[in-house]
Amino acid sequence: MCDLFALSAATNYSAPRSLPIFAAKAGRNLDGWGIGFFRKNRAYVEKSADRAYHEGRFHDSFQRLARVVSSKFIVAHVRLRTSGPIDECHAHPFILQFREQDWIFAHNGKAPAIEAYRSDKFRLEDAVSDSARTFEYLLDGIAARDTESGDAPSLFRAVADTSRRLVEEYPGNYNYLLTNGSVLFAFSNHRQFLLLKGSKQLEGGLLLTTLEHGLSEESWTRFAKEKESAGVLMAILGSDILLKENL
Amino acid sequence: MCDIFALSAGVNYTAQQYLPIFAEKSKRNMSGWGIGFFRDNEAFIEKSAEKVYDGEQVHESFQRLARVVDSRIIVSHISCPLSGGRHTAHNHPFSLSFLDHVWLFVHVGLIDGIADYKTTNEPKIDVDVYPARVFEYLRDQLMSYLRYTPYGSLGASVVKAIRNMLAEYPGRYAFVLANESVLFAFCNFRQFMLLRESASFGNSLVLTSIKEGLSDNEWISISPEPDTLGKLLVAAGPDVLYLGDVAHGSLL
Repeated sequence: MCDLFALSAATNYSAPRSLPIFAAKAGRNLDGWGIGFFRKNRAYVEKSADRAYHEGRFHDSFQRLARVVSSKFIVAHVRLRTSGPIDECHAHPFILQFREQDWIFAHNGKAPAIEAYRSDKFRLEDAVSDSARTFEYLLDGIAARDTESGDAPSLFRAVADTSRRLVEEYPGNYNYLLTNGSVLFAFSNHRQFLLLKGSKQLEGGLLLTTLEHGLSEESWTRFAKEKESAGVLMAILGSDILLKENL
Repeated sequence: MCDIFALSAGVNYTAQQYLPIFAEKSKRNMSGWGIGFFRDNEAFIEKSAEKVYDGEQVHESFQRLARVVDSRIIVSHISCPLSGGRHTAHNHPFSLSFLDHVWLFVHVGLIDGIADYKTTNEPKIDVDVYPARVFEYLRDQLMSYLRYTPYGSLGASVVKAIRNMLAEYPGRYAFVLANESVLFAFCNFRQFMLLRESASFGNSLVLTSIKEGLSDNEWISISPEPDTLGKLLVAAGPDVLYLGDVAHGSLL
C-alpha cells in the first residue's frame, strides 16, 4: 500500500528530518516517489519511478529535495503499484489547473471501480491509474458545485459532497491529499492519518502521514473515519485543522 | 455606523484599487481609521483618529498606505462617533496573540453589556471601547476550546464562541477576525458584500460592509437569514472555504 506525507505551515518550511524518515518507514513501497510543493502559488512536483529508500540508502534526489524544498504545503507520496504501470508519469503527486489555481493531489488506496471514469474537463494525459481518475473526478465535482451554488460556493462543502459521492459511485479505498496552495484537504475512508503539531524532534507546523505509528516517538494523534460515515475530511491551514467533518 | 473592509489573497496583494474607494464611500464616518496587515506572520496596524475623508480628499496617509501595504490579508475599519474612536488607540483594528497566531479584529455593531466583560487571559487590550471586549471574549472562548485540544476544529470553535457570545451578550455584530492564513467574517445585521477577483486582479476575495460594494462588478450580498444567529464566512487565500448560517444547534 502506498503512503502519504504532508507538512502544512504558516510560513515556508522544509522537511529535511521528516521526509527521509517517511521514506525509510514506508520502505516497502518500491514503485516510485514524489514530492509536491508551491512556489509563489505555482505548483511543482519532483517525482521518480525509483525506490525512495533501499537497503539503508535514500534515493539521492529524494534526500536532496527533502533538504531544499521549502513551501507552506509539502505533499509527498511513496508508491506501491496497485493500478497503472510503474513509471514516472504514474508516480504521485499529480498537478492540474482549476479556478486559475494549481492543484496538487496524491492518493493512497485501491479503487479499481473509478478506472473507467472519464472527465470532459480535466485530463491527466497518459496516466491510467485509479488515482489519476480520482483527481479528475474530484475537480469535476468541485466545478459542478461551483456552477450549482452560484457566486460564492463553499469550497469545503464542495470537496465534502464530492468525496461522499465518490465513495458512493465508485466504492473503494481512498486516502487523499488535495491542495491549491491556500488550503490542504485530507480525506480518509480507510487506514488513518496520523497528525502531529509542534514537533520537538522533526519540523514545526503540522505533520501528517498515513504511516500507522507516525514519524517520531512523539504523541501523534490518529484520525480515521467513524463507523457509519463515508470518510473523514479535514481542511488544514498552517498548523491548524480549520474544518473537520465525518461525511 | 462604522464600516469594514477585508481582503484575502493567495499571495501578498495590495488593495490600492479598493481602499481609497472604501474611504470615500465611508466618508460619513469621521472618527478615525485603521489598516491591519501581516508581514512574516506578524501583524502590523496603522491607525489614526483623524478623518479618513476631508475636503474632498482621502487622508494622505491612508492613501499612501493603500498603495504600499501588501499582504495576503488586509483589514480596514473606518470609525463612526458611536464606536468611540476619539483617540488613535480607540480605532480598529485591534491585535492579540493567542493559539500560536497573531490575530486582527475589526467590528461594527451595537452590543449592550459587553463593555463590562472582564477577560481572564493576558494580554488585555488597554482601551476602554467595547469592540476590544468583543475581541477579548472571542479570544477567551477560542482559547478555552483549543488550548488543550490542539487538534480541534478552529472553525467549529469560532461558531461555538459566536453562539455563546450571542447568548450572553445579544446585540448587533458584524466583524472580521483574521490571522495570517484565514479570515472569519460574521454578521447578524446589515450585510457584507463579497467580490471574487480573477487572477489578473490578484486572485483575491474582497469583502466590505459598504452596501453597494466598491466597484461596478457584481458583488454578492451576504446577509443573515431570519431564524438563524447570523452568517459566517471562512476565507483562505482567494477561496470561500465555508459560507453558511450559524444556526442554533449546528456546529458549523
